[in-house]
Amino acid sequence: MVIAFGLLRFIPGDPVQLLLGDSATPELVETYRQNLGLTGSLPEQFINYTRNILRGDLGKSLQTGATVNSILARSLPVTLWLIVVTVVMALIFSLPLAVLAAVYRHTWFGHSFRIVSSVLLATPVFYSGLLLLLFFALQLKIAPVAGYSPKFPDNLRYLWLPALTLCGVMVPVLARVLQSSIIETLEQEFVESAIVRGLATIPFTWRYLLRPSLAPTISLLGYMIGQLLSAAVVVELVFNLPGIGTSLIVEGVLLRDYPVVQGIVLVFGLIVVLVSFLADVVSGWLDPRTRVS
Amino acid sequence: MNPATTFWQNFNNEARWGLAILLVILLLGVLVPMLSPYNPLVGTNNTFVAPGAVHFFGTDQLGRDVFTRTFAAAQLDIVLATIGVAIPLLIGTLLGGILGTTRSPFVSGLWLIVIDAINAFPFLVIVIGIVSMVGSGVFGLIVGLAAVNWARYAKIARARALQLRDADFIHATQVLGYSRVQVLLRHILPNVYSETLAYGLADFVIVIIAIAGLSFLGVGVHPPEAEWGAMISDGRAFLLRAWWITVFPGLILSLTAIGVALLAQGLLRRIRGEE
Repeated sequence: MVIAFGLLRFIPGDPVQLLLGDSATPELVETYRQNLGLTGSLPEQFINYTRNILRGDLGKSLQTGATVNSILARSLPVTLWLIVVTVVMALIFSLPLAVLAAVYRHTWFGHSFRIVSSVLLATPVFYSGLLLLLFFALQLKIAPVAGYSPKFPDNLRYLWLPALTLCGVMVPVLARVLQSSIIETLEQEFVESAIVRGLATIPFTWRYLLRPSLAPTISLLGYMIGQLLSAAVVVELVFNLPGIGTSLIVEGVLLRDYPVVQGIVLVFGLIVVLVSFLADVVSGWLDPRTRVS
Repeated sequence: MNPATTFWQNFNNEARWGLAILLVILLLGVLVPMLSPYNPLVGTNNTFVAPGAVHFFGTDQLGRDVFTRTFAAAQLDIVLATIGVAIPLLIGTLLGGILGTTRSPFVSGLWLIVIDAINAFPFLVIVIGIVSMVGSGVFGLIVGLAAVNWARYAKIARARALQLRDADFIHATQVLGYSRVQVLLRHILPNVYSETLAYGLADFVIVIIAIAGLSFLGVGVHPPEAEWGAMISDGRAFLLRAWWITVFPGLILSLTAIGVALLAQGLLRRIRGEE
């Protein structure tokens, strides 16, 4: 919140003058100033800003006059869907990959896992996204090029390719961390005893290998979702998804619409706080050792 | 043995590959724009020529040679990323060093909250926020990156300085009656900056991708300037007709990132002493 507040005050010079140019009348400047909450001293401004946010009022767009809330109501669900689909897909890819890469770490599989994940990490999402778009949407024509539909099962058709792109940065990090914690778990005595007892593969993998190894990955996942939001902004623009990333750039930054930028940045901050809280809860459920007594 | 061979042998395989990739790209980045018969910024009538013997990477929608532009962009991107790493590195190391040695828990705690808040925030989002306020272009880009990125260096530097603070040789300086500034500059910082420098190399990958990403979004370097992200964004509209406008700049950008990442990984492994 403080960051969102600070943004406008960072600007060297007067943001209102910057917006309106030199020819603005004093009355117009005053109206804008009031709109942006730039009247009064700095602490006063901050208290006003906080009060408005607590009331759920994020201000109005300078360009269209629409409330920031209405922009968010339209675009936030798209981004949340994208994040959820990405996380689910990333887990589906990472879990088996990490187990295989841990068990077969000294074979060709382990080595190629390392190389491929390094390459993926160094590939920017807007590039991999465009390549996937070129391949799946334009060549194979099995995915739509752009657009979105807000209904549930229908929207997956538009989301799977952007989510796959985001997996390109999520899966390598998740799988690597999970792999190294599985390797640690593999050396524990209870794993050996399970092997000696001859447990079936699937219950063995879940109860003895994955569950004790997941906690660090889940806390990392919490942090990564924060960084995933950055990538999501870019990917939304690549695939023309009408999420908050697109709103931030198209309606906020490119039009110099400060309240929109402020509001969206604030929402990003809230998501980060919420997600890291959730991650703590989930890792406590998976691994009782991390619970705060 | 001559110094160049010793230098080379000091690296492990990962670092060698990384350095080799980087050197090739840097060399091409310097030579290609100098030797190329094409101007990277001025258009011609030969639009959408497919890659071949005349135009290695083809030409774009304005008839500019993509090969020349890609390596002209290499110069700009690598220089920008270096500045984008160097400024936060300096600020962060200095601030982290001061915070790690201060005896006031209030100052240290307050700054730690600021640092953690910035670090937890989605990196690109907050840079975009700042760039939107300061104004886009090269200047805004550098200001935005510097204003956000220093926090990660400060975090590392502070942690290291906290460890050092209780080391015997620092206690010795107190006994000798050195001033705090003197201790900070002569004894703490030289031991802190090797860590932040090591992180700086890994950070270079993040920064160069962020610069290209911001330019791709239209909030960084503007056309007609040759810049990887801007070029990729240019080619987007012609993806099916002329894939080469998008594919080649991205390829070289990824290669650069892989080169630096390999170098960083290799050096880090060496510093930690695992071979």
